[in-house]
Amino acid sequence: MTEKILLEIRGLSMRFGGLRAVDDVTMDLRAGIVTALVGPNGAGKTTLFNLITGHLAPTEGDVTWRGASLLGKPSWMIARNGIARSFQDLRLFTHMTVEENILTVMERSSWLWQPGGSSRRHAQRAKVEEILDAVGLADKREVRAIDLAYAERKFLSLARIMATDAEVWLLDEPASGLDRGSYERFCALLRAHVDRGITVCLIEHNLDIVISLSDRIAFLDQGRLLADGEPQSVLNDPHLSSIYFGERAA
Amino acid sequence: MLAYLVNLTTLVAINVILAVTLNFVIGYAGIFSLAHAAFFGIGAYAAAYVAMHFTTDFLACVAVAMVLTGLVSLALAMPALRVRGEYFVAASLGLQILAVTVFTEWKSVTGGIGGVVGIPSPTIFGRPIVGTTAFMVLALVCLAITLAIIAALVRSAFGRNLKAIRDSESAAGAFGKQVALIKTFSVVISSSLAAVAGALYAFYLSFINVESFTLDTSVLIMAMVIIGGAGTLAGPIIGAVLLLVLPSALSYLWFLPPTEIGSIQQILYGLALVLLMIFYPGGLAGALTRGAGKDRQGDREAGAVKA
Repeated sequence: MTEKILLEIRGLSMRFGGLRAVDDVTMDLRAGIVTALVGPNGAGKTTLFNLITGHLAPTEGDVTWRGASLLGKPSWMIARNGIARSFQDLRLFTHMTVEENILTVMERSSWLWQPGGSSRRHAQRAKVEEILDAVGLADKREVRAIDLAYAERKFLSLARIMATDAEVWLLDEPASGLDRGSYERFCALLRAHVDRGITVCLIEHNLDIVISLSDRIAFLDQGRLLADGEPQSVLNDPHLSSIYFGERAA
Repeated sequence: MLAYLVNLTTLVAINVILAVTLNFVIGYAGIFSLAHAAFFGIGAYAAAYVAMHFTTDFLACVAVAMVLTGLVSLALAMPALRVRGEYFVAASLGLQILAVTVFTEWKSVTGGIGGVVGIPSPTIFGRPIVGTTAFMVLALVCLAITLAIIAALVRSAFGRNLKAIRDSESAAGAFGKQVALIKTFSVVISSSLAAVAGALYAFYLSFINVESFTLDTSVLIMAMVIIGGAGTLAGPIIGAVLLLVLPSALSYLWFLPPTEIGSIQQILYGLALVLLMIFYPGGLAGALTRGAGKDRQGDREAGAVKA
């Protein structure tokens, strides 16, 4: 692995009372590749995302971004550092239109006037159009997020991430429940962005997606990182398979 | 009859300002405040105090009222908005009750129960505003400016931020929005503009006392917003007009005993609120602008999946 390390996770733990949701996890996110977080339900994958993005404060350990600690920083500041995330339950801005969902993510200033004037506004408009076309929601731009079909919501969730300038995308089950066609479109979109230099970490249960998309797999179980390496070596490990499929069947 | 209409229009304008500014926080930011009457009152007392002790210049009185009310709302919002929404409701209720006590007890400024009497007529650039018609025009101009400010804010990046926070706070934070700051600022804007209504009210009646600024008033303004349709620009206007005109309309119904109109009015408000919640959660404006059935389904689902 020669890729540059963007995000370092060192001895990260999160305890909820007696439960260790994340237990002494040390791993890196390397630039320009797809890392898949794999593991049975309750392995601590989403908690790990919440710890990285400042939605939860870890009980122990540290997360550093380009060498600087993210510990204690609020989620909005971490987001502005260049780390974007999606949510398993999507958390779209439900009563806003598709277009507004994308536009509001792009607007860096919270106030009336945006920096950069009209040239930036035009660039922003162009980017909104580009994203709408890419995710296939151009003809739904005026539709409220709440009125979209399931697959369309998933794509809007991805569109919001695309609208950020983030270098790292943390995607929580972005393709779950997608039909074949949508799923292929999603994979192509993600691959295109990775080729342009985006670093992706995704949580995924569908092993087909994991195999076809990821360059690296981190396997979590009961909060612990059991393996972190090339996809084939992790997936072919009989011990990990038994944990994964044993837990899934239960 | 004309004098009656002029009076009603002035009162409607003042109440529309209150409803529109409360809707800014309820409908767009998702913050339920029960202290709007307190902000209305602080604005009214501040304007009256300045007019009686310093200057009758309307703009100066409004400016003082807005700044003072803004500061009080900032003191409420800063701690209360860092935690979950329910706490703000409780904190605003606390402020409302506290404000009524202060309005009643701080006799040197508020005149206690007796209130402030003999508030002089305001002047604008040295010209006195005399007569109900002139005052109605002033109230309508203030309303127009308030509506323009709110409409501009709602359509701006700031408005989109508010709506994003209303729909999902955690997602807004994950996309770099400073949730607590934006919410606090929205409460300050809303309260400062409510102070304009307070100043107008004090000058118009030339008498104010605590009875106009109680929790009942806060609830009435909230009813205007919800019945009209929270989160729309037209909703609170419709709601305010309806709730102010309704009592007058009831008095024209000959078969209702005049002594009972007050309680019949309360029953009708309650009934309207319950029926709207069931059939048109988007309020009257929501029912008018969208296919009601579709909107209902969407809103219910929103309630179910909201993060």
